[in-house]
Amino acid sequence: MIPITREERQWFLRSLAQGLIDYLGVQEPPVPVEDLLKNPPPLYDSDFGVVDMYSNLWDATFARPPSQRGSIFVRIDLDPEERRFALARETLSALITSKQGRAMGLFDLLLPHLRESAEYFASHLLAPATMLKAYHEQGGRARGISKTFAIPPFVALQRWEDFHAIDQTS
Amino acid sequence: MSMEILNKLVARSIIDPGVVQAFSTGRIGEVISELDFSAELCDRLSHIEAESWAEYAVLAYRYVKAAEEREVRIQLPSPLEGLLPDQKRAEDEQAA
Repeated sequence: MIPITREERQWFLRSLAQGLIDYLGVQEPPVPVEDLLKNPPPLYDSDFGVVDMYSNLWDATFARPPSQRGSIFVRIDLDPEERRFALARETLSALITSKQGRAMGLFDLLLPHLRESAEYFASHLLAPATMLKAYHEQGGRARGISKTFAIPPFVALQRWEDFHAIDQTS
Repeated sequence: MSMEILNKLVARSIIDPGVVQAFSTGRIGEVISELDFSAELCDRLSHIEAESWAEYAVLAYRYVKAAEEREVRIQLPSPLEGLLPDQKRAEDEQAA
């Protein structure tokens, strides 16, 4: 695999996230990530699933038991916004380890920076630049993003700062 | 414009196995030729050699980004033209 920059990796992740948003056909927030996982594109029938768990160890984690459907195991007691972000983040692991993801070469490209990549992917899946732009043009403010996009406040703040610093110029 | 087309192609590849299959079987040029890239970019993108679709996408990004940066440079006014607005320049030329 050729060496790639963080900018290139982030561009690629934004494009992947946009592909899933296009599949969902949603134009406005909140992006229904749990619906995506429960009713996945046919290509990911054996990769996307959600299983509620009691756990104190992690918020969510993707696992693929041998010869079974891959699923995201998510803590049952998370706040709705935290749950959505954790599911979106783990969706990248589901993609990377899927048959399609392996055929695309996602493993080699994204595994060395998986955690950072997954969080970046999740923040753009749940708050894509096009929706943030529309929100901004309609007079939306920073303090309303978390509620409008149904994402945790720290993600909302980061996306708003990124949107003003980068997204509008790209 | 070219970057938007590439963005859409990469976005499509996550849900359309046809894109990756075309790449894997050496037919990515057919997919590229259906898109609205310039002739030069179309030729370059059709002949990228990469080990995987993901690697291909990143290399394509580099080509398209470089092409768009060249376009922006070409659109900048020449410093020889000066900074006068068009009307003022026309008046000056008439007076001369």
